[in-house]
Amino acid sequence: MGKPGLDPKEFLERLKEEHQVLRWEPLPPNQLRPSSGGEQSRSGGSLDYLHKHWALPDSFPPEDAGRGPKGRLVSLFGRLTYRVLGRYFREERELLGHVVRISEALERRCDALTLRVAELNLEMVRRQVAEAENQAILAAWLHAESPRTHGGVTSISSTLAQRNKAAAAALSAAAAKEDGDRG
Amino acid sequence: MSDRPLVAVLTTRWESKTEEGWATRQVAGALACVADVHVFTPQGVSPVQRTDSVFTVHEVATPSGAAAEIRRDLLIEAISETGSGLTGRLLPELSRLLDRDLLDCWDGVSDLISGLHPDMVVIAGHQLVGAVDAVDRVAPDLPVVLLALGSDLDSLSFPHFNRVFDRAQTVLAVTETERLAIIEHHGGADRVHRIGAPLAANPSALNEPNTWVGKTDYVFVITGTKTHADEESVALARLIRFGFPDNPVAISATDALSVWHQGRLGEGWPVERSSDLTRLMAWARVVVDLRPGPLFGRRAVDSLLYGTPIIVPGNSRAREHAELGGGGLWFDTPGELVWCVEAMLDPEIRSIFSAQGQAYAEAAYGSTDGFIQRVLMATGDARAGDGGRGIEGSWRPGGNRAIPGGDASAPASLSITA
Repeated sequence: MGKPGLDPKEFLERLKEEHQVLRWEPLPPNQLRPSSGGEQSRSGGSLDYLHKHWALPDSFPPEDAGRGPKGRLVSLFGRLTYRVLGRYFREERELLGHVVRISEALERRCDALTLRVAELNLEMVRRQVAEAENQAILAAWLHAESPRTHGGVTSISSTLAQRNKAAAAALSAAAAKEDGDRG
Repeated sequence: MSDRPLVAVLTTRWESKTEEGWATRQVAGALACVADVHVFTPQGVSPVQRTDSVFTVHEVATPSGAAAEIRRDLLIEAISETGSGLTGRLLPELSRLLDRDLLDCWDGVSDLISGLHPDMVVIAGHQLVGAVDAVDRVAPDLPVVLLALGSDLDSLSFPHFNRVFDRAQTVLAVTETERLAIIEHHGGADRVHRIGAPLAANPSALNEPNTWVGKTDYVFVITGTKTHADEESVALARLIRFGFPDNPVAISATDALSVWHQGRLGEGWPVERSSDLTRLMAWARVVVDLRPGPLFGRRAVDSLLYGTPIIVPGNSRAREHAELGGGGLWFDTPGELVWCVEAMLDPEIRSIFSAQGQAYAEAAYGSTDGFIQRVLMATGDARAGDGGRGIEGSWRPGGNRAIPGGDASAPASLSITA
């Protein structure tokens, strides 16, 4: 007796039906957006300016006074002003020096934090990838160990056996009928 | 001087290690039944003309280099991913980049073709724009047969290669999937022919089983990579041995053959000879090829010829043998893989797929004569369109003959069940 054929496509459909399980897959890891580099040292230009200009003049430059009697008068007034306000100007210069230094330190700290955030982000994504992979392995293992798996093939197998049995019965009935006709 | 037709075969590499190279050699061998075949290739370290079996091989010694091919393949993949490559409007800069270092290497072939005056040219590979240019420079009216070698569907549908298809009077495809893809993207159903491949089961494979696994109804898994590589095929092989601890599972990696049974491991030498591989396939209950060959999945066909059903990835070319040939099953997820293996371990189910697959493989791939006839009929169409000499000439099927110059593993259309 010839064996019944099997259409692989139908067979796979039936296998999938027999193994009706929750369609599940691990969440894809977050999209990692690489730092463009512009996130660091955005105020670099201003900080340079501060470095170059924080030391204000501590005396009256004579060339600013001009020439002639008027110039001498302005020069005298200027020197007098710097002498009277000298202490204030020195302390202001100290203050500006500290402001520049603290700005510099803040800038560096910000850059370091930005880098650390990027590193943490990368670490987190790597961890997510590893978790997703691990969960996928677990899911595959659960699929493989599912008690329905065995039932699925057994069911298809028993259907085939029934088909074979029915075909054999039909064949023997036909043979019996032929014998009867001859008799 | 011979009165046989003269055929020039243009190929990037003349070798049999890859499925593409092997298929090229088989087609050249089929043509050698009725014609003198000259092979032209840019490979070689110095220009040389040598004899290889029935072929005259002309090495031009202007190889393009693997880097240029990798760049082209990466570009095709990247452009196909964006979808912009399918519109047919590729930026000129990208076109130039695709062809960079891949056109000049064919320049030297023009003079050789001009001096040889072939009756027909076979171009092996749909990406060989430079080969088409080399022919057209000296013989623009010469009939061209294209052996598409469309392992990659993205590349097959890439409009940049349209003119290679347009130039060919006849296009040869190895599988039905490849044939349909060519017709879908390039039309001309009447000029695209599926030729299959000449394969045969060697009965000696059934004389004695592999000593590591014996006659144990084992599942034979081929990973195509190293045993401990961090790759999907290794993880899937591991899944199979975990899933079926009570059934022997033989895992063939490139560096070892591992046989697992009830948690115990027996390790053997890697399978290097094709005869060892076929022996393992012939005695297996089912062959799970996790990385089938890209052109037509030769191992899958070999397995079917021995009556061993196959399980292959759903996105592989070998799926055709399972689906059209009814020789096995395919999977898209690890769960499906496990169900498929379990189904095949059922003797009743396995025997049905075995019979179906063997009948299919013998009909579509098992006859060398059939292959030669298909190639000659298809290439004869190309010559007939040109009004030239019929290429099928005096060849007639002659029993269990071997393909001239074909490799020794496919000596004849033998069938182990005949």
